[in-house]
Amino acid sequence: MATISFDLVSPEHLIFNEEVGMIIVPGKDGDFGVLPGHSKLMSSLRPGRIMVYSEDKNLLKSFFVSGGFAEVNPEKCIILAESVDDISVLDKSIIQKSIEDLEKLDDSKSKEQLLIANAKLDAVNSIIYNKI
Amino acid sequence: MPSLKDIKTQINSVGSTKKITSAMKMVAASKLRRSQEKAEAARPYSSRLEEMLSSLASSAASGEGIIKLLTGTGNDQNYIVVPVSADRGLCGGFNSSINRETFKLVKSLEGDGKKVQLMPVGKKSRDFFNRVMKDQILESFVDLNVSSTGYESALNISNKLQELYFDGKFDKCILVFNKFKSAISQEVTQQQLIPLDVSNSEKDEEKENTSNAIYDYEPDEETILQDLLPKNVSIQIFKVLLESDAGEQGARMAAMDNATRNAGEMIDSLTLKYNRTRQAFITKELIEIISGAESI
Repeated sequence: MATISFDLVSPEHLIFNEEVGMIIVPGKDGDFGVLPGHSKLMSSLRPGRIMVYSEDKNLLKSFFVSGGFAEVNPEKCIILAESVDDISVLDKSIIQKSIEDLEKLDDSKSKEQLLIANAKLDAVNSIIYNKI
Repeated sequence: MPSLKDIKTQINSVGSTKKITSAMKMVAASKLRRSQEKAEAARPYSSRLEEMLSSLASSAASGEGIIKLLTGTGNDQNYIVVPVSADRGLCGGFNSSINRETFKLVKSLEGDGKKVQLMPVGKKSRDFFNRVMKDQILESFVDLNVSSTGYESALNISNKLQELYFDGKFDKCILVFNKFKSAISQEVTQQQLIPLDVSNSEKDEEKENTSNAIYDYEPDEETILQDLLPKNVSIQIFKVLLESDAGEQGARMAAMDNATRNAGEMIDSLTLKYNRTRQAFITKELIEIISGAESI
């Protein structure tokens, strides 16, 4: 089976760079899966989770991104994300607390952050399929 | 003629200066390595963003709203100049060359009848322009500490700039910063930030267009561009801040290296002087004793 090279980049550093089997990306208009040989695509992302699967479709890693861009061509998938968290290290109680804090504030910036924090909580709570 | 004690004190004080400068050099060298790593780590993001942008840029016609970051306002009357300097001194000509270059740029723009405003980044350029052209300063950013705060610091500057831009406060934004060439040399560089200057990537773009064929866009080109452009401004600023930070450490390292060497030379020559003077005193005393003994 073929693999596709996957780069996850944040402004501060290159987070992930490996050959993988499949990536599920939270596109602005809905999640999409990227397999080797995917047609050329450019998309912006919504806050959500990126799931990386190995060649035999086992879950390798899942990340939370707060938004960004994806560029896909048949050999390569590049994701530029502003902030990236490894979902396995996110702590539910910390996120819940930050949501409570943000709900008290009332300006456009904190509303935006609230949206991201809520999406983060969703990502942590939702079921992750270890194998597809 | 200075007494022996005077020379001794001088040697001691130069010696302690040497200790300080060599310590500063070591600190700068280790900070340089860290800043360089940071600057290198940020490179993949910015280069990929640029790639994406250049393949999208062709699709942007003149438009309203955010697209203006790419196409410009159609005017070039009002300029904003952003000199990026360090917060601290003792790094050779690092800060003064930025200030000099910015000053020259502002004067030449004003000579062409443009209106120029300033937005200094870093204490050293803020202080300088506070003295020479206080009324043109719009806002200043100090104590950014880009190597510890990271991307946040660039976002602040970028948000402020974009706010001003969409309020129609300026038409063009130029960054003046030290480009990091190597650990010992920095180059003062001007970069047009807004509207985005795609002219230097145009050659690559042509090459890419032939190989890249057609992309699918989701949601659509314009929406992506609207997300991409503001981000690009922040990233460009972030890159400049990191480069300037690495350059500052490099400049400080070189300056402190020089200072340490100079102090060493000074100690050598002072020690020579000390020994000569001491010898002269001994000879004088001997002559006195001998001539005293002879006269008896």
